[in-house]
Amino acid sequence: MLEGAEFYFNVDHGYLEGLVRGCKASLLTQQDYINLVQCETLEDVKIHLQTTDYGNFLANQTNPLTVSKIDMEMRKKLCREFEYFRNHSLEPLSTFFTYMTCSYMIDNVILLMNGALQKKSVKEILVKCHPLGRFTEMEAVNIAETPSDLFNAVLVETPLAPFFQDCMSENTLDELNIELLRNKLYKSYLEAFYKFCKNHGDVTAEIMCPILEFEADRRAFIITLNSFGTELSKDDRETLYPTCGKLYPEGLRLLAQAEDFDQMRRVADHYGVYKPLFEAVGDGSGGKTLEDVFYEREVQMNVLAFNRQFHYGVFYAYTKLKEQEMRNIVWIAECISQRHRTKINSYIPIL
Amino acid sequence: MGSLFRSETMCLAQLFLQSGTAYECLSALGEKGLVQFRDLNQNVSSFQRKFVGEVKRCEELERILAYLVQEINRADIPLPEGETSPPAPPLKQVLEMQEQLQKLEVELREVTKNKEKLRKNLLELIEYTHMLRVTKTFVKRNVEFEPTYEEFPPLENDSLLDYSCMQRLGAKLGFVSGLINQGKVEAFEKMLWRVCKGYTIVTYAELDEPLEDPETGEVIKWYVFLISFWGEQIGHKVKKICDCYHCHVYPYPNTAEERKEIQEGLNTRIQDLYTVLHKTEDYLRQVLCKAAESVYSHVIQVKKMKAIYHMLNMCSFDVTNKCLIAEVWCPEADLHELRRALEEGSRESGATIPSFMNTIPTKETPPTLIRTNKFTEGFQNIVDAYGVGSYREVNPALFTIITFPFLFAVMFGDFGHGFVMFLFALLLVLNENHPRLNQSQEIMRMFFNGRYILLLMGLFSVYTGLIYNDCFSKSVNLFGSGWSVSAMYSSSHTPAEQKKMGLWNDSIVRHNRVLQLDPSVPGVFQGPYPLGIDPIWNLATNRLTFLNSFKMKMSVILGIIHMTFGVILGIFNHLHFRKKFNIYLVSVPELLFMLCIFGYLIFMIVYKWLVYSAETSRVAPSILIEFINMFLFPASETNGLYSGQERVQRLLLAVTALSVPVLFLGKPLFLLWLHNGRSCFGVSRSGYTLVRKDSEEEVSLLGSQDIEEGNNQIEDGYREMMCEEFNFGEILMTQVIHSIEYCLGCISNTASYLRLWALSLAHAQLSDVLWTMLVRVGLRVDTTYGVLLLLPVIALFAVLTIFILLIMEGLSAFLHAIRLHWVEFQNKFYVGAGTKFVPFSFRLLSSKFSDDVA
Repeated sequence: MLEGAEFYFNVDHGYLEGLVRGCKASLLTQQDYINLVQCETLEDVKIHLQTTDYGNFLANQTNPLTVSKIDMEMRKKLCREFEYFRNHSLEPLSTFFTYMTCSYMIDNVILLMNGALQKKSVKEILVKCHPLGRFTEMEAVNIAETPSDLFNAVLVETPLAPFFQDCMSENTLDELNIELLRNKLYKSYLEAFYKFCKNHGDVTAEIMCPILEFEADRRAFIITLNSFGTELSKDDRETLYPTCGKLYPEGLRLLAQAEDFDQMRRVADHYGVYKPLFEAVGDGSGGKTLEDVFYEREVQMNVLAFNRQFHYGVFYAYTKLKEQEMRNIVWIAECISQRHRTKINSYIPIL
Repeated sequence: MGSLFRSETMCLAQLFLQSGTAYECLSALGEKGLVQFRDLNQNVSSFQRKFVGEVKRCEELERILAYLVQEINRADIPLPEGETSPPAPPLKQVLEMQEQLQKLEVELREVTKNKEKLRKNLLELIEYTHMLRVTKTFVKRNVEFEPTYEEFPPLENDSLLDYSCMQRLGAKLGFVSGLINQGKVEAFEKMLWRVCKGYTIVTYAELDEPLEDPETGEVIKWYVFLISFWGEQIGHKVKKICDCYHCHVYPYPNTAEERKEIQEGLNTRIQDLYTVLHKTEDYLRQVLCKAAESVYSHVIQVKKMKAIYHMLNMCSFDVTNKCLIAEVWCPEADLHELRRALEEGSRESGATIPSFMNTIPTKETPPTLIRTNKFTEGFQNIVDAYGVGSYREVNPALFTIITFPFLFAVMFGDFGHGFVMFLFALLLVLNENHPRLNQSQEIMRMFFNGRYILLLMGLFSVYTGLIYNDCFSKSVNLFGSGWSVSAMYSSSHTPAEQKKMGLWNDSIVRHNRVLQLDPSVPGVFQGPYPLGIDPIWNLATNRLTFLNSFKMKMSVILGIIHMTFGVILGIFNHLHFRKKFNIYLVSVPELLFMLCIFGYLIFMIVYKWLVYSAETSRVAPSILIEFINMFLFPASETNGLYSGQERVQRLLLAVTALSVPVLFLGKPLFLLWLHNGRSCFGVSRSGYTLVRKDSEEEVSLLGSQDIEEGNNQIEDGYREMMCEEFNFGEILMTQVIHSIEYCLGCISNTASYLRLWALSLAHAQLSDVLWTMLVRVGLRVDTTYGVLLLLPVIALFAVLTIFILLIMEGLSAFLHAIRLHWVEFQNKFYVGAGTKFVPFSFRLLSSKFSDDVA
């Protein structure tokens, strides 16, 4: 696309951008969180959420209220908004939306395959699937026995198909292989999404590329962290790293060699972006976890995305922020329902 | 009543509601709509308030009612809307009501569930019969093949080699059949092919009639399919795929007898289900009908109850927890009503200790209440749209009632158009009780709400139209023109005289395109037309020049009178708020400034009208030049309007020049002097402080606890007064800004009133154009075709008149009239920084279901 999106961006996407900015304004404020934390029961949470933009989204739920009901309704609300955006979008924004749903689709496929492995019924797991990543062929996933089977039979016509290039093997699907499959899919997905944004150019690239780079690096760190003490070989581990991040290539090579958290931290020290993040991680008792630190950083980037205009990043950022908000509410609600108030304040504030 | 001139006096009252009777008292108050509650628990979040449980219960009831209404609507049972609104339910009945509603809900849910189940069953059975019917055709085809694979096939039959091998291996032929959603057929088939690698045969046919989906209740098109496959493994996969695409799979009969049997069985079951379903539906309808009778009153009652609890949430408990304390704003005139309502509430609940009230002193600015009726409401709305008046300040709406339609009419002046508008408004006014008008759409509603404004605007337009002598751009000759053409022909003069006086003769009439009537010739001008402009001007070519001069002067005169009136209203404000110094230091200089310049301009205009006649018109000086010369002091002497003009003008200018520094510095310096000297004129005390003083005795009547609190409050108040910082710079700055705005405003606002002239000119010209372009063309055609042509021409003329001249021009004149009021008039005196008094009244709750229920 040519430079200078501001000249024609609004013709196609101006309405949706305005809409998403309006939606962003409805995110819960700090004051809302302070009030939510004071709630005694889930009923209180419901009453407080009624005064926010959620409105009476829980009105039709019969008692007793549970955390999962709240979560489900919130997801449904997000999904409704997203569907609206998607249905009103034009190319290339609709492709962008498809890319956004892909990550949820991958998660859903993996969830279903894990379920099939544990002989759970499809219906039971379907409830747990994220509504944003829902697609028709999804339920047939458990027919497949190998990744190539999966590709040929089920996913060949879904947007996930291109990501399967690297993972066509005849291995049977056991738990480890499924996890590997998930990471490989994610890797090619992130790389493809990154390429799409890069090719799109303009402000979209300026906003989305750093976000996706960060996402890729985060995955690399998390994969490394999770692989400590498993049978995954170092070479295998390296093949799972998405290569579109800032860590590529040297950082990834170093990460592949890392054997414990300290070595990982040393790798991160080479990078100005990640050094402060690792420094913020508390050790063992108390303090923030690495995951939380990453989430905070993500929230920060997403909020900043709203400072620019004429780009698609706002849609991505809004969805992610809303997800974070939902995680926060669920966290608070869990803390309330389990009467475990000491940790209630460790939600991630959205600035 | 005089209440329209100023907002009503308010007082802050404390209500002591015994906790047992609070609900009834509030119910009585809500019915009357007397008071506005103040939120005493502002820093308590919504879920920590006292009556949150009751609010929750109301919400639960609302949920049930919404469900009922939804079900009733779905069953197409009319919902009767009651005429009167029932009072809030007594507390004893609430529990009963809740039980009753809950029972109803449970029953309803059960019956509906049953019904849905039966329905689903029925639909499934119907689907099954359809499937059997359609697959029969597939089977017929299969039958032909049957022998070929039952026996050993001939070897040359290549295409069937595969089956026969399978057959020999003992694999069983299986069938899966069912219905699938139309949209999914293609993907379904592809997936089947990919997964089973072609080892299946899919046959499908479209069902001719759309069926309801048992799960979602949508009516969609379906396809019937039959999959034949070999082998257990593939069978599993096929079944999974069917699940994935949400196919409705039904067992497939293997033989024709079986099929027949099933079909018969199905038919009888469907019959049975139908009867059961009918009975269930009848029962459901009965239940709903019974519910529909009372649902309206329940909805209203619950709404009222919820409103009461919301208000109770704003009250604070006293120390003993025995009574609730509410703080309310109440108009002083309604205090006895308030007392009566409280007594009523206490009596109703049968409490031993009655609830009572106390007025308490306050320094806070009370909300503004201006009582309106259906006539004044529209005008008040125009003013409120600019800003709700500050407490007790002069309310411009009272004057707007006349000035607004008048200024509008000056711009819209046309007898015919005004009359049409008047008729339209009259129609609205006469039918104002018609229910359809009350519930009409947005735009119509706008007209309806402004019907009295429209009525007056129409009437005034008729008046100005008479003055301008315009009726659909034509003049009306009611009294006979004051000009006589024949006098110009008068032959009683000698030819020399005739030449000198410019009289006409045949050759002049024949050779000149334009002839001039000379009013100085005796007999030509017989005196002014009794009302408005002489119709003869309609024929004159210099009509526009004449009207422009007239309308321009008229708008300046009207504008200056309007603005001066605004400044004078400011004096009333200063008097009321006991700031007399403001009159001498602000209003009087302002008046002098305005009158010495623009008042003098008016004087010159009127003077010139009166003094100069047709004979002396050639020596009349131009007002514009005179007015400019007033400021420029030209060296050369001009012949002015009157003798001694120079001296008068100098004097006026000197007064103007003197009033400016007074305006700029007077008030700040005076306040500074007051502040430093602390002199005890008592003028600096505002109206509110006095109110506070008066009610100090009442404070002593409060209970001991409250006295302490009250005293604290008062002390706080004094301290605040002391601490109220005297910032000279700030006062000076505000005053300077205000003065600059005023002085420049006088000039620009006067110019702004010229829009009266401009718009009335535009309106007259536009209607003139419409006449010449349309009707005159129609009238020019000869009689035979003229009739045919005139009909559409007149129709078009009517449509364009209504849309362009009445609606479009009317809107523009309306907007300009609003602007003249908001900016030019109201900025002379109106602050408009108040808050509206919003009483707690049940009447403000919407009394319809559809709005927020359902």
